[in-house]
Amino acid sequence: MMMFRNLIFALNSAWQSFWRNLAVSLAAVLSITLILMLAGINLLVGHAFSQVLDGFRTKVSEMSINVADGTPLTTVYDFQQQLSSDPRVASVRFITKSQALVNFQADPNNAVFAQQIDGNPLDAKLDVRVNKLDDVAAIDAMARKWSGVDPTDPTNYQGDFVFRMLQLSSWLGIAGVGLMAILVVVSIVIVMNTIRTAVYHRRKEIEVMKLVGATEWFVRGPFVIEGIMTGLIAASLALSLLVIAYQPAVDRFHSDVGFIPLSYDPSFISSLALDLLLGGAVLGAMGSYIGVRRFVRI
Amino acid sequence: MVLTPDFDSRPIISFQHVWKTYPTGTEALRDINLVVPEGDFLFLVGPSGAGKSTLVRLLIREEKPTKGKIFVEGVELGRMKRRQLPRYRRKIGLVFQDFKLLPNLTIYENVAFALRVLGEADSIVQSRVAEAIDTVGLGGKELTYPSNLSGGEQQRVAIARALVHAPRFIIADEPTGNLDPATAWEIMQLFLRINARGATVVMATHNREIVDLLRRRVVAIDAGQVARDDRSGRYHDDVSKPHIRAQ
Repeated sequence: MMMFRNLIFALNSAWQSFWRNLAVSLAAVLSITLILMLAGINLLVGHAFSQVLDGFRTKVSEMSINVADGTPLTTVYDFQQQLSSDPRVASVRFITKSQALVNFQADPNNAVFAQQIDGNPLDAKLDVRVNKLDDVAAIDAMARKWSGVDPTDPTNYQGDFVFRMLQLSSWLGIAGVGLMAILVVVSIVIVMNTIRTAVYHRRKEIEVMKLVGATEWFVRGPFVIEGIMTGLIAASLALSLLVIAYQPAVDRFHSDVGFIPLSYDPSFISSLALDLLLGGAVLGAMGSYIGVRRFVRI
Repeated sequence: MVLTPDFDSRPIISFQHVWKTYPTGTEALRDINLVVPEGDFLFLVGPSGAGKSTLVRLLIREEKPTKGKIFVEGVELGRMKRRQLPRYRRKIGLVFQDFKLLPNLTIYENVAFALRVLGEADSIVQSRVAEAIDTVGLGGKELTYPSNLSGGEQQRVAIARALVHAPRFIIADEPTGNLDPATAWEIMQLFLRINARGATVVMATHNREIVDLLRRRVVAIDAGQVARDDRSGRYHDDVSKPHIRAQ
């Protein structure tokens, strides 16, 4: 009951302080809105890139092992069995020489070339899908040691490309985290200074609170709540602006840079909302906590 | 010479060889020994800069002694942890020369503030605040703001706030410093009434007339030391301090 009364006191006090220092509060809200918008854009771009990367990943995690002509079927089945039971492998499919030719001819890109080929120069192959991109190289190495592999053209694995893809995705991840870290620090500093201004206006009240026996948390509570309020208002504003701008921005991007398959993903908005609101509240709370700490020490 | 009163009641405050040296090197207090029995009314007198305010700050544990020990109700203040301080300060009623009222709160809210901080229920706040405001004779002015009150009335509000949580002892630092003699006397009457109800009062003051009239216990601090401790003393010790008499 006492905690509830203290909470009511803190909420009242925070609300009053927010309105009493409206100019400073609004400045903080707008600054944090801007920062959270940048953070939101970072999240959205990150999400879009991860979708694109997932597409690439699916492609490069599939490889074909070419089977040398004349390899007994039992040898192929044994190796297929061996691959299937490997935990790193998601699936293995055997394509015979004739199926390979049919597939080749069915691809409209090969129409002209298909008419010119004589007989069946294509290898039978094992199409392997690997669970993790990192394991493709190991499966490739295993395939190259297999007795039935076509020694002239063992697999279609392009190690360099996969390596570059992996590197790109990790760099993008690091850049995203770095940008987020900068945004977090900047917003904490902004909230900290806003709350310090509020604390400065109310230093007499804080002094009296301490003298009549208020606990540190009783003094600090209203400021932390004010910080959370500032963060939540800013997050709501940032979220509204991002939601409004999301689809038009993706459409615009499509028309300008059509070959990158960015897509509008409405299901991501709820996760974005959660991230921004939670982020705003935590940043607000942390900024106030640090901002007020020096002043309220009893 | 340090005199320790041999009062019968148990001590509520006791200073044992307390020294306070500030980081600047200033020796504010030197080897203070002082025992305040429960229910005592004690005047701390002495020239400005003698160490009275430092003594008050030590008592409310805004500062810690450099050497020595201070006990309040058997608890050593120097060993008290920071999180225990709020509980300790709730036992004290504090009154200052500059009143320390919050200008944006009404009289009622200012007095209620001390109880809100404790998380008291509204019904308790209402009855205790009304009683405290009545005690200081400001009934009917509950909704007035401090800026609309005279200095004496503001100090009454501060006293009501100091009383409202029924503290065991009151520490007052120059409570009549900003008041005219007639108002100062009225405020003193209040402190006497509070003391008569059982609260211990420690008051730092420069008000010679009041000290001399009341003839209560007087502890004179001079150059950071207890120069005199008289059970029913005067502001100046005419015999041993001729230089003060000359003022």
